Amino acid sequence: MDILLCLKQVPDDSVEIYLKPGTEEVDLDNVTNVVNAFDTYALEMATRFKEAVGGEITAVSVGPEEARNAIKNSLAVGADKGYLISDPAFENADTLGRSEIIAAAIKQLEDERGKPFDVIFCGREATDRATGQFGPQLAETLGTGIICDLVDIEQTDEGIRGKQETEEGYHLVESVTPCVVTVNKPPYDPRYPTIKSKMAARKMKIPVLSAAELEGAEAGEPNVEIIKVYEPAKREAGIKIQEETVEDSAVKAVEMMAEAKVL
Amino acid sequence: MAYLISEEAKDLLEAVRDFCENEVKEQSKEYDKTGEWPKEIYDKAIDMQLQMLEIPEEYGGFGLSRVDVAALFEEMAKADAGFATTISASGLGTKPVLIAGSEDLKKRACDIIVDGGFGAFCLTEPGAGSDAGAGKTTAVKDGDEYVLNGRKCFITNGGVADFYCVTAMTDKSKGVKGMSMFFIEKDTPGLSVGKEEDKMGIRTSNTCDVVLEDVRIPASNLIGEEGQGFSIAMQTLDQARTWMGCIATGIAQRAMEEAIAYGKERVQFGKPILKNQALQFKIADMAIKIETARQMVAHSLTRMDEGLPFSKESAIAKCYASDIAMDVASEAIQMFGGYGYSREYPVEKLLRDAKIFQIFEGTNEVQRIVVANNTIGRF
Repeated sequence: MDILLCLKQVPDDSVEIYLKPGTEEVDLDNVTNVVNAFDTYALEMATRFKEAVGGEITAVSVGPEEARNAIKNSLAVGADKGYLISDPAFENADTLGRSEIIAAAIKQLEDERGKPFDVIFCGREATDRATGQFGPQLAETLGTGIICDLVDIEQTDEGIRGKQETEEGYHLVESVTPCVVTVNKPPYDPRYPTIKSKMAARKMKIPVLSAAELEGAEAGEPNVEIIKVYEPAKREAGIKIQEETVEDSAVKAVEMMAEAKVL
Repeated sequence: MAYLISEEAKDLLEAVRDFCENEVKEQSKEYDKTGEWPKEIYDKAIDMQLQMLEIPEEYGGFGLSRVDVAALFEEMAKADAGFATTISASGLGTKPVLIAGSEDLKKRACDIIVDGGFGAFCLTEPGAGSDAGAGKTTAVKDGDEYVLNGRKCFITNGGVADFYCVTAMTDKSKGVKGMSMFFIEKDTPGLSVGKEEDKMGIRTSNTCDVVLEDVRIPASNLIGEEGQGFSIAMQTLDQARTWMGCIATGIAQRAMEEAIAYGKERVQFGKPILKNQALQFKIADMAIKIETARQMVAHSLTRMDEGLPFSKESAIAKCYASDIAMDVASEAIQMFGGYGYSREYPVEKLLRDAKIFQIFEGTNEVQRIVVANNTIGRF
């Protein structure tokens, strides 16, 4: 299986963030960037898939020079090749713009290789904006099928079979390849790089693909207009109902809800 | 301020920090209570190849400078000193072989570590602590073999090691010049593990008696030559001490970081306690001590890398870093007040962990003897 893996660097989501006072700008000055958690799951699943069926993984990321780290980390745990897609023209790209840029890069790499990628892995969403749109938009742009929210994947005679997590349980979905898959949290954790693989990854070349090299990757202005950026309202303190008995508390709660016209 | 390390090591530091934050720091709290040796943590550490950091490049290691490795060890020590001690003790156990062993022994020892095994260094005996030359363990040559008998105690990794470097007297009449060093693999008949210590700190490390009853090993397992054992042991400790200074520095760094975080959060008299200059000065004193210790560790390791004498520097690094680790951990508890004395908070463990660093691999009194001898000279 020839796998392409899409990675995105996002601000560390374990850190609480605020707006800069008096602005609509999120203060990310002291927040380090990390690889999107769902992309790390995608990397681990893709690596296990490769180990099971053979093939190679090519990792790509759209972003500034710093996004090279995301690719380097993927090379240390399972990816075989990496490309940084970087150009000042891509800076304002939104989700749709990024999917078009990556689609253009995929076509470019496929032309160079002379064969298509079989499966394109991405995380189900990025933890910064959490739109969950990138995978579907990429599949649409490439004109392939898509299976979302995978927690497991296996090879079939004609392509792949994915275990898709839903709110009710699981679907088993089959697709021919090429196909895009988005990955949810699987029942295992991403592996750590070994010291040796980390050192080897450092020495690997990560070529840059710029706008000039990618036909169709225009993505200058965002397609989505952000009207307002604001912090979530602070939750107001609740009311504690503590009558003598549980029954009395329940009656009181219902009375209060009726009074507030909630019921 | 920190160790000045290569770009390569900075990359590794990030990965090791990530590992320690997610797999060691919180998990070790429970093991600190139970005293159980956390095999699953060590399995993961081995998957990451952390046990190979001190292996020379020609035997499968990574070829990092010692200061690069120190930065990684400090990170491990910040998460849990027992964890760092276990990993480092394999390095200690390998050193006698690397210092004086045959090519074959070097390969065997390093292969065991590379394959995920542990090493242990066995010098101390019930009657031979600081007076290491008073050991009663014997090795008697019998044809192409040596037969060893005796009991070693306080052996880090004693119960989990895959090989042991053991000192034994081959000629009691010669005193320390009659001591020799031997390489013994686990599962050698007659070698067994005795009492496991229930320790005050570094409880995620394993410390046991190692018992030798008619242990027969090939004569080729002699490290160096007969009579060189004491010298090899002292050279081993000379090197290993700086690493203990490095781990002690990590404990102190953790204590300071915990004290700063708590001092910013804890409000008394209407403001965070760290707004008080009295407590800011405590932090300043901690930082001064920690940075001094760290740079002494780095200096000693750089001298080792450069092939310069380092005995005095190593003793200073170990002695100073462990003394200040105790000071800093104690002051961190003081800043936490009553909460610092509670096991619910992280700093009391740091004091318990720090104490052993003033004791093992040569007590700090012995370190002062080394420093004095190297400073004053013969007269």
